[in-house]
Amino acid sequence: MNLRVVGANLIVKLKCVWREKTTMFFTIAFPIILILVFGTIFMSQDNVGFHLCVQDLDQTTLSAKAIATLERDGKFKITRVDPAANVNQYVRENKVDLVMIIPRGLESSIVQNVTRKDPKAFVTITYIYDPSSSSVLTKIQILNAVLAGINQKLSGKSPVIRSAETSILTRKYRFIEFFVPGIIAMAVMSLSLFGTVNLNTELRQKGIIRKLSTTPITRTDWILSDILYQFTLAVGSTIAMLLVSYIVFDVRLNLDAWLPAFILLDVFAFVGIGMILTRFAREAQSAAAAANAVSFPMMFLSGSFFPVELMPGFLQTIAKILPLYYVNEGLRSAMVFEDDMAALRAAAVIGAFAAVVFILGIMATKWEEGQ
Amino acid sequence: MTKDAEYAIEVVKLTKRYGDLAAVNDISFTVSKGEVFALLGPNGAGKTTTVEIISTIRTPTSGKLMLLGMDVTRQKSGIVPRIGVLPQGFSSFDRLTVRETIQYYSRLFGTNTDIDGLIELVNIKDKAKVQYKKLSGGLRQRLGIAIALVNDPEVVFLDEPTTGLDPRARREVWEVLQGLKNRGKTVFLTTHYMEEAELLADTVAIISKGKIIAKGSPGELIENNTNYLVLTLRCADNKAFEIVRKMGFEPVLNGNKEIRIRMEHKDDVQKILNAITDAGALYLGLDVRKPNLEEVFLKLTGEALLSDPVVERGVV
Ligand SMILES: Nc1ncnc2c1ncn2[C@@H]1O[C@H](COP(=O)(O)OP(=O)(O)OP(=O)(O)O)[C@@H](O)[C@H]1O
Ligand SMILES: [Mg+2]
Repeated sequence: MNLRVVGANLIVKLKCVWREKTTMFFTIAFPIILILVFGTIFMSQDNVGFHLCVQDLDQTTLSAKAIATLERDGKFKITRVDPAANVNQYVRENKVDLVMIIPRGLESSIVQNVTRKDPKAFVTITYIYDPSSSSVLTKIQILNAVLAGINQKLSGKSPVIRSAETSILTRKYRFIEFFVPGIIAMAVMSLSLFGTVNLNTELRQKGIIRKLSTTPITRTDWILSDILYQFTLAVGSTIAMLLVSYIVFDVRLNLDAWLPAFILLDVFAFVGIGMILTRFAREAQSAAAAANAVSFPMMFLSGSFFPVELMPGFLQTIAKILPLYYVNEGLRSAMVFEDDMAALRAAAVIGAFAAVVFILGIMATKWEEGQ
Repeated sequence: MTKDAEYAIEVVKLTKRYGDLAAVNDISFTVSKGEVFALLGPNGAGKTTTVEIISTIRTPTSGKLMLLGMDVTRQKSGIVPRIGVLPQGFSSFDRLTVRETIQYYSRLFGTNTDIDGLIELVNIKDKAKVQYKKLSGGLRQRLGIAIALVNDPEVVFLDEPTTGLDPRARREVWEVLQGLKNRGKTVFLTTHYMEEAELLADTVAIISKGKIIAKGSPGELIENNTNYLVLTLRCADNKAFEIVRKMGFEPVLNGNKEIRIRMEHKDDVQKILNAITDAGALYLGLDVRKPNLEEVFLKLTGEALLSDPVVERGVV
């Protein structure tokens, strides 16, 4: 390895890309647009509560209070159904999946139960629901929990069994925070893969590769300078993504040495693959097509956009043989779950893969044309 | 290897096959140190294949190749620092300026290149800060030559350095090449322009279909392969044409009222001119010349050397 040569290449590549402003812009802008679009979708999902229809037949202060509690504690968005309406008909006409009916006598029963200590006084809340809706059971569960809370308060006894929630995450993360590391992994992959393929096919067409074969530069120097170059771009792009997601969505992720480490491994792996593709695809177009064929399934199957666990079993198996899966896993382990051991395991897998691909990439790189 | 000093390049029985095609077919030649050697031939003759094999870009199928006393196929790393190459159709990084481009290649060699000197040599000083993208074809080729010189090589390979350039740009490149010659570099040039070979080369090898069919100095090639003169009459009228034809020559009418006549003896020139004057026929100008390499090539192969309208000359 010759540092002077590697440095000269790095400078030239950076100068060229810097002066190619539109390419620069789109390379940086694409992942940021993804973050903005998906971020906006997820944020609105996070904020929307469940929709609930309530028919209040009691029409008392207490029933009104109960509805207010549902709104507050159950985070429901309440629609009030006219007490005169036929609920079954209402459900069908308005295509709602659940109506809760507060019966007449709610207030009087409660008053009788609590103040007169009459255990025989009770009231029944009715749910009219569409069992085919997927969210209805969740809603009923939440409603039951809220009602249980109300019951307990009314009875005045302190609860014997309490629950404490401990999420597996050290703090509660939103989906966007899970999403950003996936986009970083994907963006770095695309940058490195397409950057390498495009650059090398272009240089080959220009005859620069043939010219380089008559200079002392070695294939190792050439690939190393490409890796450094792609790494520089990847770091720039990652910083931009993190800044945008912080400013727009207040995304705060754990930033430590794992981040640059995984970016570097990501770059190594995909520059190597890019070199191999460039070697075997004769035309620039077929090289780009091959790069697409590699990156497309990788994007969707390796859990960049959504957790792999949501996919059917056989796709999960496929995901686990994709290198990008381990970058995703590693980055999330480091940035979201703060789990160093998991990050280390992922790093070991992707590191081994990167080493193999890098060596194959060097072997595949040929200065000589048309042997 | 004992003959280190004798030849810059020694090629013995070089063959390169692509499947059934012998792109270069058993050729042998030597290039002396300090000479300009031109490989002249039409499209597809095997020029690029030959020059790229000698300059270590491609590998031969068979044959022995020595460059500055080193075996080309085995001692690439020893050869690379001592040669400079301008590949055919070479272009460079669009967004680098002339100066940055030269600087980049000189860094690859790690040599202390006199960049300003090179810029001066190829005469692109006023474009030193211009990006490659914005250079004309002629400037690009001159920059390509400068790049080929960053390591101060002993042997310079230039594959068709003037193809596709207009006549003026071509002449400017020739001036640069003349400068190289004066500096004592060994220059290996390929071209399909006979003027270029005639003007610049000490030795010309004519290559056709992978074979070298003639070799020597331009003068020798013409001397050995032709035995006639060409008389051209400009702005001649039909009467003149008829007179010449009746004298037993075979005049050729060429576009703008130009008549070309081939003859074996110098004395015939005077005879023809006298006959025309005596008959009161007209012509406004004349020129007598020896045949050129174009005609030598035609004679040797029965084919025209090139079909480039810029340089094409009607052949008598
Ligand atoms: N890589 C290759 N694979 C197959 N055939 C090739 C290859 N390179 C050259 N050839 C063939 O070898 C022959 C000689 O080609 P070459 O490029 O050496 O000619 P040339 O004299 O340089 O022509 P030009 O003036 O067009 O540059 C041609 O018929 C060409 O098609
Ligand atoms: Mg050629």
